[in-house]
Amino acid sequence: MKKTMKTTFSTIVALLFVTSATLYAQQSDYQIQQDFRANHAELTERINAATSTDELSDISIDIDALEADYSEYSSLINAAVYPDTFSGMVRDLRNRYNATSVNLTALEQANERIDDLMAQVDDFRNRLAEMDEEIADLKQQIDRSSANERRQAALIRQYRQNVEQRDTFVTDVLEQLMSRYQEVDSATQDEIAAALERMSDNPIELLKTIIAEYTNMADQDSGLETPDFVRMRAQHGYFSDVWNRIGDRLANTFAPDNPVQARQEVTDMLAAWLASIDNKLWNALTTSFNQNGIELPPFTSASTFNNALNQYVDNAIEVSRESNSEEDYQVYRNFANYWNNTVKAQWGELLVNGGILSTSDMAAIDVKLNEWGENATPTSNLMFILFLISLAVIIGLVVLLVTKKS
Amino acid sequence: MAKPTITTLSLCVAILFGAAACGPSLVIQNVDFAQPLESVLTPDSENQVHDQRYAIKFSISGILEKEGADSVDEIRLIRSSAGYYFVTAHGFNNVYVFETEESELKLKRIIEITRNGIGQPAFNQRSTHIELIDRATGDTYNLDHVGRR
Repeated sequence: MKKTMKTTFSTIVALLFVTSATLYAQQSDYQIQQDFRANHAELTERINAATSTDELSDISIDIDALEADYSEYSSLINAAVYPDTFSGMVRDLRNRYNATSVNLTALEQANERIDDLMAQVDDFRNRLAEMDEEIADLKQQIDRSSANERRQAALIRQYRQNVEQRDTFVTDVLEQLMSRYQEVDSATQDEIAAALERMSDNPIELLKTIIAEYTNMADQDSGLETPDFVRMRAQHGYFSDVWNRIGDRLANTFAPDNPVQARQEVTDMLAAWLASIDNKLWNALTTSFNQNGIELPPFTSASTFNNALNQYVDNAIEVSRESNSEEDYQVYRNFANYWNNTVKAQWGELLVNGGILSTSDMAAIDVKLNEWGENATPTSNLMFILFLISLAVIIGLVVLLVTKKS
Repeated sequence: MAKPTITTLSLCVAILFGAAACGPSLVIQNVDFAQPLESVLTPDSENQVHDQRYAIKFSISGILEKEGADSVDEIRLIRSSAGYYFVTAHGFNNVYVFETEESELKLKRIIEITRNGIGQPAFNQRSTHIELIDRATGDTYNLDHVGRR
C-alpha cells in the first residue's frame, strides 16, 4: 500500500515537472521580451498618468512584480533591448516612479496648502462679515436711540469696542498674510498661480473687502471721536506698511495676469480710505483741542497739524515772556496737562503709527513746552518788598543815628 | 621530350601554390553567429523584408513560391550559432534553412514540420540548436541545419 502511494506521488510529481517543462518550452523568447516591453511601457504610462500617491503605491508593487517575473529572462531581455538592459529598464522605471512620487507628494502638499489658504481666507471673510454685521447693527441702534443719551453712550462705547476688536482681528490677518507672503518664493507663487482657478476667493480680494469696509466705517457718522479716528489712521498706517511689504508678491501671486492693475487698485483704495479718515480726523482733533480750551490754528494734514501745535506753543511762549501773568500760567498748565495726559499718554503711539506726529515732533513740542513753563511761571515780588523794607529800615537807622549825633 | 614537359608542369604547379600562398589565408574558427532572439519581419509590397537590428534585407518571393503561398503577414527569422538562417511563417509547412554566400542566401535544407501549416510559429535560440514552437498546438521541434533532431 505504502509502495503504491509512493509510486502514485512520484508519477504526479513527474507529470507536473513534464507539464511545467512543456509550458516553459512552449514560450516564445520573442514573445517574452515583447511582453516585458509591453509591461514596461504600460507601467511607464501609468507612472506618467498617475495623479495621486495612492495610485503610485500600486505601481510600486507592480514594478517589483515585473522585476520578479522577468528576472529569469534577464539575459534574453538584455539581448533584445541592447544597448539598454533589463536591470537598466527596471531601474529607469523606479527612477521615474521616485521622481513622480516626489512631484506628486509636492503637488499634494501644495494642494493642501492651497486648501488651507482657501479655508483661512473663507474663515477671515466669514469672521469679518460677522463683525461688520455686528457693527452695522450697533450703528442702527445708535441712530435709533438718539432720544436716550445714556443708552446711546453705552451703544457708542460698545460700537467702539467692536471696531477695536475688528482692528485687532484685521491686524492678525495682516500678520498672517505677511508671515506667509513676505518671503514667498517663485515656486510657491507658481503653485498658487496654478491653483488660482479653483480659488473662489484670494487674499487680495479679502484685503479689498477689508479696506472698503474701513472706508465705509470712516465715512459714517457713528459718534466716533478723535481717538477712534487716530486709531483708524494708525490702522491705515499699519495696513499701508504691510501692503508695501507684500503687495508686489501678493499681486504677482494672485493676479499673475495683471499684477500692476491689481496693485494699483488696492493702492487707490488705501488712498480713498485715508481721505475718508482725514476728512473726519482733522475736524475731530480741532474739536478735541477746542473743548479743552486750546485754540489751535487751522490744520488739514499731519504736517499742518504739527505746524499748528508749534505755532500755538511758540505764540504762547512769546506771550508768557511779555506778560508773565497768572492767567498765562493757567493757559500753560492747561495745555501741558492735555498734551501730557491725553495727547501723548493716550494717543501717542497711535499718532506715531498713523503718521500724524513723529516721536521727534512730540519731543520738539516737549522742549518748547519746558521753555514755555519756565517763562510762564509767575515771578514772586516778596524779595523786592523785603529789599525795600530792609532799605527803608537801614535809611531810618542812618537818619536816627545822624539825628542823635547832632 | 617527356622530361621537359614534366618539368614545365611542375614549375607551373609550384608557381600556382606560391601564388596561393601569397593570398589571404586567415581563418577565424569557432565564430558564434547566434542571433539571441528571432526577428519578426513584415514584408513590404515587393515581398522584401528588412531586419534593421541584425542588418539583413532580402526578398521572400522564392520562399513563398516554394511554400505555394501568395503572401504572408510576417516571417520569422533566426540565425543559428553555426551561421545558418532559419525562416518560417504562419501557415507554412516547412522551415527553410539558408546558408550565406556572397550577396546570396542559398537554400541549404527544407525541414518539413507539418502538412497542416504551423499555427503560431516562434523560434528560440538554444545553445545546441534552434527550437521551433507552435504556440497554437504547443508542439516543440528541435532543429539544426541538418534537419529535425
